Amino acid sequence: MNQHSASISNGSWAIRVRDLSRSFPAQNSNHTLFRVLTRQVLNGQRNSNGFYALKDINLEVVKGEKVAIVGDNGAGKTTLLKVIGGLFRPTVGEVHTRGDMVLLRGAEIGMVDELSAAENLFLYSSIYGVHREKVKKNVDEIFEWAELKSFAHARLATLSSGMKTRLAFSALRHFDAEIFLLDEVFSAVDTHFEQKYLEVFEQQKSSDRTFLIATHDMKFARMFCTKTLWLSRGKQMAFDSTDEVLDRYMAAST
Amino acid sequence: MPRKKYLNLLHQLTITQFKLKDQSAFLGFIWSFLHPLILLGILFAMFRHQTGQTIEHYAVYLLIGLVQYTHFANSTSRSVNLLYSMKHLTGNAIFPKELLVLSATMAELVELALAMTVCVIVAALSGITLTWAVLLLPVVWLMQFILVLSVSLILSCLYVFVRDIGHIYGAFLRLLIFITPIFYDKSFLQHGLGRYILLLNPLTYLITFSRALIIEGEPVGFEPTIFLLLVSSLLLVCSFKLFKNYEPAFSEYL
Repeated sequence: MNQHSASISNGSWAIRVRDLSRSFPAQNSNHTLFRVLTRQVLNGQRNSNGFYALKDINLEVVKGEKVAIVGDNGAGKTTLLKVIGGLFRPTVGEVHTRGDMVLLRGAEIGMVDELSAAENLFLYSSIYGVHREKVKKNVDEIFEWAELKSFAHARLATLSSGMKTRLAFSALRHFDAEIFLLDEVFSAVDTHFEQKYLEVFEQQKSSDRTFLIATHDMKFARMFCTKTLWLSRGKQMAFDSTDEVLDRYMAAST
Repeated sequence: MPRKKYLNLLHQLTITQFKLKDQSAFLGFIWSFLHPLILLGILFAMFRHQTGQTIEHYAVYLLIGLVQYTHFANSTSRSVNLLYSMKHLTGNAIFPKELLVLSATMAELVELALAMTVCVIVAALSGITLTWAVLLLPVVWLMQFILVLSVSLILSCLYVFVRDIGHIYGAFLRLLIFITPIFYDKSFLQHGLGRYILLLNPLTYLITFSRALIIEGEPVGFEPTIFLLLVSSLLLVCSFKLFKNYEPAFSEYL
């Protein structure tokens, strides 16, 4: 509960999470009308005996702060980002954000497989508020940076997952949002591109944009993030300066 | 500012829906004409000498009914799994999801306008003298647009939670062709339950409106138009509320 010291209200917060818990029902696969109706009748209260992906999370991120989220697989990193992005509802607690948000997940990019890479670029940029004319102007630069020029008219489904992340990340450099929620953007990306990513992050280091980055890359976290949130099985182990949290996290995981 | 951003996104999404439709059916555009034409041929051959005797310009009469029914049936049933078929987008991108439904409905509206224009041309060729009333057809399109949008919002939202809604709705659409005055006249059902079913069916009004404009050459009275506009707007408000109410849960169930 020592996090409360950090949540002294000052005017400049960008993300504020209070007593957040998120549970998922134990079985949630059968969606036929019959099942849905019987489930409603049999147990009125939903989520009664599910598991908790997040439990009692409290944090306040100041505008412009760069925060890493670390933790083993299944710790709740993605769930937390989705709750903050408004894609999952909190079961208990509150989430408040200030400013436009972008969510980029390395594992599942919000794009349409049936469209071409270029068409997806337009759609993806439009979702995050970039005007079509501006995308048109930047389209060559974006594909060049992603080194995907020859794939511009290929169906997105034919691109590898690393290539898709590259495209999304390249587009994201032109986004004007205030809060960036990034989930494992380094996964499936080769070392050459890792270097290119790092250059972009380097430029953002002193910007007033807020970053929340779920990552397994400790070196990157130490380089870019001033603060780190450590999650373990949905519980908040620590939220403090990066070096301090990572030292404890590394010690705990060996 | 945010309104402008979403207008741009809506524009982009509508383009996307067009491209997706083109890909899903190679002759998509042709089919949207061919399908009602095949039905028209069969119904015309079957009913020409019975119900057709009492109805003037029976072929055009049938055509208008079929075009409007087919548009309604196609657009709404395509919307059923819209959120699901784009689940990467629905589940991982932060934007108001009703824009997906709205853009799909807008793409379909273009088809209705084209098909109805063909109806007008066919009517002129078959010897009907057109009047200025034809210019009021866009009002009918607007009302049909609102109706399709409302039904699509409800269906696409329901499908997230109840997956067999598609089958149920398919059965309903098959019934709908019989409880809509497509190949018979409203006066055919003057007594009993059938009459009330017809009166409750909004397609009855929409089809009657366009027939009046094209075949009879004079608009239906002012009052029924206002009445239908009010009812469909009310339906739209309700379905929009329902959609927005369940929107935060979409990505949990997809």
